[in-house]
Amino acid sequence: MNQQADIAEVQDFLYSLITQQADENAMRWLKQQIGKLHGEAASRHLYLAFGTASRFFSKEPLQLSATSQTGADQLRKGFQPAHWQVLQTVRTYLLLHVPSENADQQLVVLNKLFETADMSEQVALYAALPLLPNPEHLTARASEGLRTNMTVVFDAIALHNPYPADYFKEEAWNQMVLKAVFMQRPLYRIYGAEARANEELARILIDFAHERWAAHRQVMPELWRFVAPFIGQSYWKDIQKVLSEGQLLEVEAALLACAQSSYPDAKETLNHHPDIKHRVDTGQLTWQDIGQRDANPML
Amino acid sequence: MKYIDPHIHVTSRTTDDYEAMQQAGIVAIIEPAFWLGQPRTQAGSFQDYFSSLVGFERFRASQFGIRHYCTIGLNSKEANNEALAEQVMDLLPLYLGKEGVVAVGEIGYDDQTAIEDKYFRQQLELAKDVSLPVMIHTPHRDKKRGTTRSMDVCQEHSLEPGMVVIDHNNEETVKEVLDRGFWAAFSIYPHTKMGSERMVEIVRQYGPERIIVDSAADWGISDPLAVPKTAALMIEKGLPEEHAHLTCYQNALTAYGQSGQMQESDWLQNEAIDQRKLFSGNSILRGGQMPKVG
Repeated sequence: MNQQADIAEVQDFLYSLITQQADENAMRWLKQQIGKLHGEAASRHLYLAFGTASRFFSKEPLQLSATSQTGADQLRKGFQPAHWQVLQTVRTYLLLHVPSENADQQLVVLNKLFETADMSEQVALYAALPLLPNPEHLTARASEGLRTNMTVVFDAIALHNPYPADYFKEEAWNQMVLKAVFMQRPLYRIYGAEARANEELARILIDFAHERWAAHRQVMPELWRFVAPFIGQSYWKDIQKVLSEGQLLEVEAALLACAQSSYPDAKETLNHHPDIKHRVDTGQLTWQDIGQRDANPML
Repeated sequence: MKYIDPHIHVTSRTTDDYEAMQQAGIVAIIEPAFWLGQPRTQAGSFQDYFSSLVGFERFRASQFGIRHYCTIGLNSKEANNEALAEQVMDLLPLYLGKEGVVAVGEIGYDDQTAIEDKYFRQQLELAKDVSLPVMIHTPHRDKKRGTTRSMDVCQEHSLEPGMVVIDHNNEETVKEVLDRGFWAAFSIYPHTKMGSERMVEIVRQYGPERIIVDSAADWGISDPLAVPKTAALMIEKGLPEEHAHLTCYQNALTAYGQSGQMQESDWLQNEAIDQRKLFSGNSILRGGQMPKVG
């Protein structure tokens, strides 16, 4: 599934976003750096510019108009810079100047940056994956990144990032979702969850739920989203357990899963809860809603 | 009172230490790149070490409400492996420009060999190029001569004394360091280099200007609370509170703040500790532990 963006267009787009939130001095510096990214010393200049960008640009969130948000999605389906910072946008802009005609050479430069990156540089690098040329060469790097213990780095890959859904094989995708559950990350922020749902992931998550229950611990309500399409005789008793023993949010999640299942018992059970069914049918009860309320019980 | 420990090798310390440091009022620390107790044999080991100083250790410290900075450099002991040293020198520019890198260090002399001298000088030039302060490790053996020589070489390379911190001082070296305008840092080590009692007397004698107290705590017998303990002893022994503030907080901030990479607002505006951010089985919290919030 190739989702390669037009690099020149993305460069222009990012540049216009950066200009809105940077001073003249910083923009002058950026232009100078781009001017140095040619010839023999290009990669050395890039490494330095990539690091020292922090001296010129802030970590403030990008301010995006509605038009820009739509524009981003048109440039690259699933690209959501509304969750980006100015500094990381600058770093991404620099990355898009790495020569990419030869994928191996591009990888040498990128690997050096990944291997020597500090925490916020890692965030920038991983979040940039869906925009980079030769994205199919970066799947191993992305999987490696998910092994981190730094939550912000994990989030840069797993959340609001279309790269995993577009390029991960099933095994890598499943490992990512399981680790996100394990780390209690907000699953509704994972891009492409429905499209990549699979039976093996449902089985892994059911096993995980059993482990948690055995230890008398709760299971995050969002987990049932990934089980929903595969509810059948074998998982039905688990859903029933949540319905009878779970807290309010878990029950609502189990019923939302029922709504997305074609299993007859699930359909019938949902019919016994007309109020919930109504909220599902009218789009009031969604996985995003469940996830947001789980993260912030005050909602 | 707030404290800075401007020299501590926290990669060797436990989470108990981090908790105790935070409770004792330590708000920021500087972790100088040094050796690891045994010599490395591969440049890749240096690369991963440097990356951990700007990556995971910084993250780990933040989980305990402590702001972590570091210095990057080729230490004098390992400089003696020339083939390796060459490769490490190539790595340094990749790290010196990074956020939170407040100095080139710790560099200087160990056995005071010709090879140590060569890489010391190269790194002083590098520090000038990137406008960073320098943290100098003075040798344990033949200390007095090594300290004088370190300063001579800095001045030979036209470094401003105000951009150079001479570390691991004692009663024998402090006067010359202060007279020549350098920062004089003291590592408070139980048993060896410098004890808190002696430190108090030095501050009484020389005053607090340009004196910096640190723990240099590492994998050996050392005390990560040496800075707050020494500050407390100063006040107990009748020194003005301002002396403790300068030597155990402000002077380090002033010296390393010259990097542009360290300012008080970094920790005064720090978000509250939230260990839920990494609530997972393979993070600093193990299964079943309750995350600390607020």
